[in-house]
Amino acid sequence: MTNHWIDIKNSDCIMIMGSNAAENHPISFRYVTEAQQKGAKLISVDPRFTRTSARADLYAPMRSGTDIAILGGMIKYIIDNNLYNKEYIAAYTNAAFIVGTDYYFDDGLFAGFDRTSKKYDKKKWAFEMDANGVPKMDRTLEHPRCVFQILKKHFDRYNIALVSRISGTPQTDLKEIYQTYGATGARGKAGTIMYAMGWTQHTVGTQNIRTMAIIQLLLGNMGVAGGGVNALRGESNVQGSTDHCLLWHIWPGYLKTPRASNFSLAAYNQKWTPKSNDPLSANWWQNYPKYSISLLKSFFGDSAVAKNDYGYDWLPKVDDGKHYSWLDLFDEMYKGTFKGFFAWGQNPACSGAHAGKTRQALKKLDWMVNVNIFDNETGSFWRGPGEDPTKIKTEVFFLPAAVSIEKEGSITNSGRWSQWRYEGPRPLGSSLPDGQIIMELGNKIKAQYKDGGTFPEPIRNLKWDYAAKGTYDPHAVAKEINGYFLKDVTVKGKAFKKGTLVPSFAYLQADGSTSSGNWLYCNSYTEKGNMAARRSVKDAPNNIGLYPEFAWCWPVNRRIIYNRASVDLQGQPWDKSDWVIKWDGAKWSGGDVPDGGWPPIGSFDNPNPKARHAFIMRKHGHGQIFGPGRADGPLPEHYEPMECPVEKNFMSSTYTNPTAAVYGTEADVYKTCDPRFPFVGTTYRVVEHWQTGVMTRHQPWLLEMQPQVFVEMSEELAALKGIKNGERVVATSARGRLECTAIVTKRFKPLKVAGQLGAEVHQVGFPWCFGWQKPDSGKEESANLLTPSTGDPNTRIPETKAFMVNIQKV
Amino acid sequence: MSKSFFVDTTLCTACRGCQVACKQWHDLPAEKTENRGTYQNPADLSFDTYKLVRMNEAVIGGQLKWLFFPDQCRHCLEAPCLETAGDPAAIYYDEPSGAVIYTAATKNLDAAEIIESCPYNIPRKALDGTLAKCDMCYDRVAAGMQPACVKTCPTGAMNFGERADMLDLAQNRLTVLKRTHRGAMLLDPDDIRVVFMVAYDPGLYHEHAVASHSGHGISRQVALRRMLRPLKNLVSPFA
Amino acid sequence: MKINRREFIQISGAAAAGLALSSCAGKGGMFTPARDQAKMLQIQDAKETTTICPYCAVGCGAIVHTANSGKKRAINIEGDPGHVINRGTLCSKGAALRQLAENDQRVTQPMYRAPYSKEWQKVDWEWALTRIAQKVKATRDGTFEARNAKDQVVNRTMGIASVGSAALDNEECWTYQALMRAIGLVYIEHQARI
Repeated sequence: MTNHWIDIKNSDCIMIMGSNAAENHPISFRYVTEAQQKGAKLISVDPRFTRTSARADLYAPMRSGTDIAILGGMIKYIIDNNLYNKEYIAAYTNAAFIVGTDYYFDDGLFAGFDRTSKKYDKKKWAFEMDANGVPKMDRTLEHPRCVFQILKKHFDRYNIALVSRISGTPQTDLKEIYQTYGATGARGKAGTIMYAMGWTQHTVGTQNIRTMAIIQLLLGNMGVAGGGVNALRGESNVQGSTDHCLLWHIWPGYLKTPRASNFSLAAYNQKWTPKSNDPLSANWWQNYPKYSISLLKSFFGDSAVAKNDYGYDWLPKVDDGKHYSWLDLFDEMYKGTFKGFFAWGQNPACSGAHAGKTRQALKKLDWMVNVNIFDNETGSFWRGPGEDPTKIKTEVFFLPAAVSIEKEGSITNSGRWSQWRYEGPRPLGSSLPDGQIIMELGNKIKAQYKDGGTFPEPIRNLKWDYAAKGTYDPHAVAKEINGYFLKDVTVKGKAFKKGTLVPSFAYLQADGSTSSGNWLYCNSYTEKGNMAARRSVKDAPNNIGLYPEFAWCWPVNRRIIYNRASVDLQGQPWDKSDWVIKWDGAKWSGGDVPDGGWPPIGSFDNPNPKARHAFIMRKHGHGQIFGPGRADGPLPEHYEPMECPVEKNFMSSTYTNPTAAVYGTEADVYKTCDPRFPFVGTTYRVVEHWQTGVMTRHQPWLLEMQPQVFVEMSEELAALKGIKNGERVVATSARGRLECTAIVTKRFKPLKVAGQLGAEVHQVGFPWCFGWQKPDSGKEESANLLTPSTGDPNTRIPETKAFMVNIQKV
Repeated sequence: MSKSFFVDTTLCTACRGCQVACKQWHDLPAEKTENRGTYQNPADLSFDTYKLVRMNEAVIGGQLKWLFFPDQCRHCLEAPCLETAGDPAAIYYDEPSGAVIYTAATKNLDAAEIIESCPYNIPRKALDGTLAKCDMCYDRVAAGMQPACVKTCPTGAMNFGERADMLDLAQNRLTVLKRTHRGAMLLDPDDIRVVFMVAYDPGLYHEHAVASHSGHGISRQVALRRMLRPLKNLVSPFA
Repeated sequence: MKINRREFIQISGAAAAGLALSSCAGKGGMFTPARDQAKMLQIQDAKETTTICPYCAVGCGAIVHTANSGKKRAINIEGDPGHVINRGTLCSKGAALRQLAENDQRVTQPMYRAPYSKEWQKVDWEWALTRIAQKVKATRDGTFEARNAKDQVVNRTMGIASVGSAALDNEECWTYQALMRAIGLVYIEHQARI
C-alpha cells in the first residue's frame, strides 16, 4: 500500500476491484464504512457478487480477465471528459516526456517485438533526451509524441460499447463507475483503489495494476490522503518477508540479486545504480552502493572488507536473462533438477497453480524439510490421494514451529507498519520459534564446514551471533537489520560512536563503516529504542489518522509515500482539510514525514534550485504514466487470458499476452475455447479460512463455518447442467478434477460477451483453502488442481484467476 | 444501568467475528457441519451456538441484495420464556444489565414449552434437557466490558450500551437510512433489548426477525401469568 | 526502551477496576449458570501480552491471556482496544486465534519419514537437524557450480530450492534468507509470488 489501512477513511470514492476486502481483509471495512458514512461511494467490480458487493453503493459484474478493458475505458472517459488534474500530471508525472521516434503501437504489439524470443527490445520505447541527458518535456502536454498524447491515442479504442462487449459489464454500469470514480479528479477529492490477487494472478497482472496506477496519476490521487494504489497484502508478514526479499531476484531492501555478468562489486553497483543528469531529480537510488555494502557488512561482519569486495563473491549469482521464479522452480523440480527442498511455513502442494504438477514434482526429491505448525499436504505428499508410499523415495523431515503468540518479533502489515509482538504461552511441546530453528540449523551447517567442504567461505564467514546463551534473540537481529556504526565516524556533521545504531538510512555509508541488514528498515531500531513496539494513540497535528508514534513504518516512518505529490508547486495541499504535508515557507510541518525535506519547486520557469521532483524513487523524478521498464509494453493493453471463452481478442488480433510465461512439460496443458471446458473458472478465499487452510482447517470454530470445498454457480448454469443446490459435483480442467459442493446462487450471473463460446458466458468460482489432509474425510481438495501453470511476464505470478473448466453432476 | 444492543444490519459484512467471539468467550465447542449450498453455518442456533449470522439473497427493486442478520436472543423486557418458566432459579433477569439468564436449573423445565414461548425462536436444549442461549456476556458487562460479539465487530453493526443511548443511536441511524430506504425500520424496539435495524422487509432476513413473524403466539401459561402479574410490571421502563 | 505492558493493556477499554463479579453469581450466588463462567476469574490472574494477528495483513492487535498456573496456556484472546487500527475488533479468523495455538492436532515433536516408508516416526531435534545439515552439505558440495556455462563466477548450488515464508517474523525472515544465500541457493521463493 502506498497509503495505509486507517487512511481509507479519508477517501471520497473507494474502488474495490481485484480484491474482496470485506471477506479477506475484514477489518479494512471499519474504514471503508467510516468513509461511506462521511459520504464516500464504494464501488465493487467483481465477476461474483461478494460480501464486499453487499455493502457497495455500486456493483458491476465482469468477465474475469478483462480488467484492462474496463480500466482502459475509464482512462478514455477521464481524458475525453477532462476529468484529469492537468497541473498535477504536467508537474509530477511523465505525461510531458517526449517518447522517441522508434516507438509505435500496432494491432496489439508494441515496437521492438521479436517473434522468436517472444521478447521486446525495450530500447524502442526510450524517451528523447536533451543535450544534457535529461528527458525532453513539453509541460503543455501538446507535443504529438509526449506521453499524454500517446496515452490518449492508445486508449481511444477503449470505448464503452467495445469494453462492454469484451467484459460483459453492462454499458450503464461502466458509465456510472467511470463518472463516479472520475469525479475524484477534482481538487481536494481523493479516490482509492483496494486490489489484491484478483489483479495480480493474471498473465496481464502487472499491467492490470499499471492501468489503475495511470488512472490514479491522471486524477491526482497519488500521494494524497484517501488515495494511492493499495495492494491489500494477504499474509500477516508478506510485506516484511518481501521487504527482506525471500525471493530469487532481490536482496533485502529491494536490491538486485547479482547477475553473473556483474563480475565484481564495483560492476554490480555500477550496473544497478541509476544516474540522472537532472539537477532537480533526487534519484534516491543513487545511494545504492551505501545500501549494498552495508548489507554485505551485515551478512559477513568483520570478514567483509574492501580487499575481498566485502564478500560479494561469496554470494550466489544468477544467470542473466534466466528466471528462477515459483513456476520456474517447480518446473525444474518436475524435471528432476533438485535433490533437496525446504518448505518453510508454506504449502505448495495446495498453494501453487497446477497443484497436480507440483505434487508430481515433489516425488523427484531426495529429501525435503517441512517446517510448519501442523502436518500439511506438502510434508505428507507421499501419502496423498492416489500415492503409493512404498514407491516414493523422498526422505522427509517435519520440524514443528511455534505459533505467533508463542514468540517475540515484528511483522509488517500491508500499510508498511512494522509491529512488535510478544510471547504469551511458551512454545507448545517441543515446538520451537522459526528463528530458533534457523539459528540451530545454521550452527549445524557451519559445523559441517568446520574442517573443509566445497567453497566453505560464505558459510564459515556468515555472521551468526543472534543467539544469547543458545537462545535466538529477535532484538539482536532487529538491530542488525537496522544497522550499526562500525567505527567512530562523523556523518553530515554529526559524530557517532562505534557500536551505536544508525539513526536512519541517510547516514549509511559505502565504505564499510556501517552495517544494515535492510536499508529500508534503518530507523526502525535506534538508540531511542525499538520503534516497532511504540503504542502512542496520539494523532499528528493534521489529524488524518497517521498515528506517527504507533509502531513504525518504512521508509523513515513516512505513512503516505509519494506525499510530495499531495501539494501544488507552491507546497500547498490540493486538499485543504485532509492534508498530508504543507510548506510553511521555510519547512514542511505538522503532517507526515515528507518524501525528502527539499522545498517545493515553485514554478518550472524558474524552479527553486534546492527543490526536487515529487517521485524521488524514480530516476527522472516523475510518476510513470509511460512505463518503459515492463516486459510486456510501456502501456497496458487488453489481451485474453491464456484460457478463455472467446475465439478472438476484440481489441486487436494479438490474442493473448505475447510475452506471458508458459511451460513445456507434458503436464503443462492449456485449453482455450475448447467445448470440453466451456465455463470460466476463478479462485478466491473466504473470510473463514486463510490461504491453503493449514492455519484454519485445523480450527473447529472455523471449519464449522466453512466445512467443505465448494463451487459457486449461477441459477442459470445449474439449470443448464441439472445441478441442485448443495449437491456434490465434479469440476474438471485440462489439468485436473475437483469434487466439490454446489452453491447455486444469484450472485453469479451469465454474461453477454462478444464472440463467446455458447449462448452466454458462465463463470464459476472455487475457494482454494482446502486440501486432502484436513478435514478428515480426505475429500476436500485444493482448487489449484484445476489452475494453469502460466503467468505474468514481469512477476511470473500464475494465472489462477481466469481459466476454463467444466462442471458435471457426480 | 439497563442495557441494550443496537444491531445495524446495513453495516454488517458477515465477517462472522461475532459468531466466533461468542464461542471463544464462552468456550463453546464447534458443531459438525456440512455445506448445504450456502455460506451460513451452522444451519441454526443450538445449545453450542448462541450467535449466528444468517445470510439470505434477495432481489429487491431489480437489484440483488445479500442480507445479513446476526441473530441472537433479544433479551425481552418482559421475557415470555421467563414468564413461562415461572422459576427464577432457572430463568431470571440479571438486574444490572437486564439480561435474561438461563441457569443449570433449566434442565428441570419443560424445554418444549419454553422454546415454544419464545417469539424469536431462540432457546435450544442439550441432550440432558438443559437450555442455553445468549447471556449478554453479563459477566463482562458487570466488569464494564462490552459483550464479546459487540467488541469484535469491526464496522459498528453491533453496538451495546445504556438502553436510552442505544435507542437514540437507533433512531438517528434510522432517520438517515430512511432517506434512501423507505422501508427501513427498527424491529420491536419497545419490547426487546436487542434492537435490529433493517433496510427491507424483515421477513427477507429471517423468519423470526420480528415477533409477529414467529407464528408462535403467547402460550396459554404466559397468558395466564400475565393476567395475574402485578401492575407495576406493565409500566414501560422507558416511558 | 522498557515498556511495562501491563500498564497500558486493558481488555475492556473501560476502568480496570470493574472486575467485580457480583452479577455472575446471580441473585446472591444461589444459581449455577447453564455453563461454567470462570473465564472472567481466570483472566484476572493471567499474564497479558499483546500480539499481532497472523492471518491477513491488516495487522490487527490482539491481547493474549496466558494462565499463570496449570499448563500455562492461552485461555483467552480478543482484540486489543489500544490498537489504533482495529480498536479491539477482530474478524472470525482473528477471533479464533486461540484455537490455532491451543490445538491438539499440532505437531509438537520433529518427525521423520524414511524413503519408501508408509509412516512418520518421532525423532529428536538434535538428530533431525544434524541429519538435515549433512544432507545440505552433501547436496551442496555435490551440485556446487563455481562457474556457469559462460565461465562466469556464480558460486551457487542448483541442487536445493527453498520456499517460505510470509508466516515468519521479520527477524526470522532476515536470518533465513541470509542462511539460504550463504549456502548458495538461487531458487528462493515465497508467498509473494503466488
